[in-house]
Amino acid sequence: MSFIEVDKLRKVYRLGNEKVVALDSISLNIEKGEICCILGTSGSGKSTFLNMLAGLEKATKGSVRIAGKNITAMTEKQLAEFRQSNTGFIFQSYNLLPSMDAVENVAMPLMFKGVKPAERNRKAEKMLKAVGLSERMHHRPTQMSGGQQQRVGIARALISKPPVVFADEPTGNLDTKTTAEVMEIVVKMCRKHNLTLILVTHDNDIAKYADRIVHIVDGKIESDYPNVSIVPPEPKELTDTEKILKSLDNSDKEKENKDETE
Amino acid sequence: MRIIDIIGMSFKSLWRRKVRTLLTVLGVVIGSCAIVVMISLGLGMDNAMKYYLKQFGDLNVITVYGNVWMEGQSEPTKITQENIEIIKNMNNVTGLFPKMALNDQMISVCAGRGNRYRRMYGEVYGIYPEYLEKFGYKLKEGEIPENFNSNYVIFGEQTAYNFFDTKKKRNNTTYPHELPDGTMSEPFFNPMEEQIMLYVNNQNKYVEDYMWGHYESAGKSNEYKMTCVGILDAQNSGGNWEAFDGIFVSMDFANELFNSYNKVNKIKDAKEPEISELKIYVDNIDNVAKVQEQVEALGYYCDSMESARQSMQGQLASLEAMLGGLAAISLFVAAIGITNTMIMSIYERTREIGVMKVLGCKIKNIREMFLIEAACIGFTGGMAGVILSYIISFIFNKFGSSMLGLDYMYQLNDGTVLPISLIPFWLVLVALVFSTLVGVLSGFYPANRAVKISALEAIKNE
Repeated sequence: MSFIEVDKLRKVYRLGNEKVVALDSISLNIEKGEICCILGTSGSGKSTFLNMLAGLEKATKGSVRIAGKNITAMTEKQLAEFRQSNTGFIFQSYNLLPSMDAVENVAMPLMFKGVKPAERNRKAEKMLKAVGLSERMHHRPTQMSGGQQQRVGIARALISKPPVVFADEPTGNLDTKTTAEVMEIVVKMCRKHNLTLILVTHDNDIAKYADRIVHIVDGKIESDYPNVSIVPPEPKELTDTEKILKSLDNSDKEKENKDETE
Repeated sequence: MRIIDIIGMSFKSLWRRKVRTLLTVLGVVIGSCAIVVMISLGLGMDNAMKYYLKQFGDLNVITVYGNVWMEGQSEPTKITQENIEIIKNMNNVTGLFPKMALNDQMISVCAGRGNRYRRMYGEVYGIYPEYLEKFGYKLKEGEIPENFNSNYVIFGEQTAYNFFDTKKKRNNTTYPHELPDGTMSEPFFNPMEEQIMLYVNNQNKYVEDYMWGHYESAGKSNEYKMTCVGILDAQNSGGNWEAFDGIFVSMDFANELFNSYNKVNKIKDAKEPEISELKIYVDNIDNVAKVQEQVEALGYYCDSMESARQSMQGQLASLEAMLGGLAAISLFVAAIGITNTMIMSIYERTREIGVMKVLGCKIKNIREMFLIEAACIGFTGGMAGVILSYIISFIFNKFGSSMLGLDYMYQLNDGTVLPISLIPFWLVLVALVFSTLVGVLSGFYPANRAVKISALEAIKNE
């Protein structure tokens, strides 16, 4: 049994009298810790697919099982609880709350869970350090660049270490250089915590970061193959990212050492 | 989600739209202030009415007349000791004040050394002295002793003026009047300091002696040495006119005088001494009607301020309902304002709400956030409204009555000006609870709308 099992998932929209088939009996299994890219052009149904994996939209037919639980059969209330403890979400337009600073935004999922402020802020600060924003802890979203905002978004999605992380065009609003930075961080962190990442994009360059690329065309899986060039092309002039990655590595080592001593 | 975090989120979103929040709160301020002020005016009127009626008599008191009969009766029902006992044991009756007037018995009063000051005829009343003050009689001088014995007497305010001075040929009478220097004239003697004598007379001989000017020996048969322990303050004795010129003795002593009179005048078939009036004190104004009904069932003619009070209160109630209704309209408009503001803010925050849903915020938490926002608007508005009401109330009370020409309504005989507007503490609490409730109710619809927003809103890209 796979971690995520999609069985003959079908979604039909009604536009007046016309039926539009957005997803046509898609079946797919994704393993734990896999970084899976759903690649497709606009209108291919890739976003609908993601929404249904995350339980944001009801399926017309078929089922989605995550960790053995059938999320297509869940009520709104059950879904909210399921999302709270099992999923993280990275948005294209970051969707940070403008009235909150970085720490508060990152701590938000923990707040929904009922974690006390001191503890959740401590964790949020740790996450922000991990994505290289230790200098921007108490900045508002409006005071940050797109790349910085998306890094806050990543920290927010990963703070409760959800087994599944969904990313919907996470770099759609970013320039090439920042895209690479952000992707590096996401992939690195998901691997570190063995999280399943489902990455939806139309950008072939981004797909290169995934273990597996599922190509969707007109609501059907056109191709599904493991990524051959698993090592992404080294981006040029990435001094910033290098620093972050280094610090990530270091903190990993530190943690391991710590674990050993403990 | 912890409640404190929900409140925090609500406050944040209110704070983010300061001006709009402020304007919405302002609506509630005006609405709740209007209601509080209107109710306070009503309470002020109520209060003024009570004082107004009190000038005519105590509102808690029922007066039973022993010599007035009701329609359908051929003669009045006498107030008997037996019935006094029955009334005494009724529920809610906390005091009784029978008044036995010795009107038909000639009792003369003398005072001073050698009975220098005389009064041919004194209005003697037998009473229960322990209830004197409860029934609205106030003492100007002296106090009522704990064990009021048969030798004690209480004078009315002007009782001492109606004596004449036997040592003088001219100017031997006096009366209460203002002297040229502005002070009140004094009676010939101070009853508190002089020995008071009561005489029960043989009526025929007395009248005859008096006519011939034989005051010294006029019909005196039995004499009683008395001590005056107090003088009543008639102006403030709740409209009890005996307080002016009465002479009050204990009920037992009045009975003794009555028997003595009958003996002296050789009246054999004397009936029980007549109790002209019985006053009943009821613990609470609201029970007056009930007790009065029971007493009337015994066959007595009763009188109380109850019927006057009820008709006045009825008029006031309809006036208050009208004022309150007008004020309620403004609060209703404020409530619509809250709903409107909240719906606007939901439109603006659609995406935000979607994001919260995607990030795992429970539906019930989202609803709570909006309800708390609405409740906050209501509560803050109510709070400010109460403060504003206090200010308005203060201004009304300070300047209102003379400005509006309402002095006749709110000014008492003794010059005290009653408040036009009264804000008791319960009104403050009611206003706060009510405005918060209005907020919550106005928030229900927007909150449900917010809950229905799809999580998909978060995914849409602009």
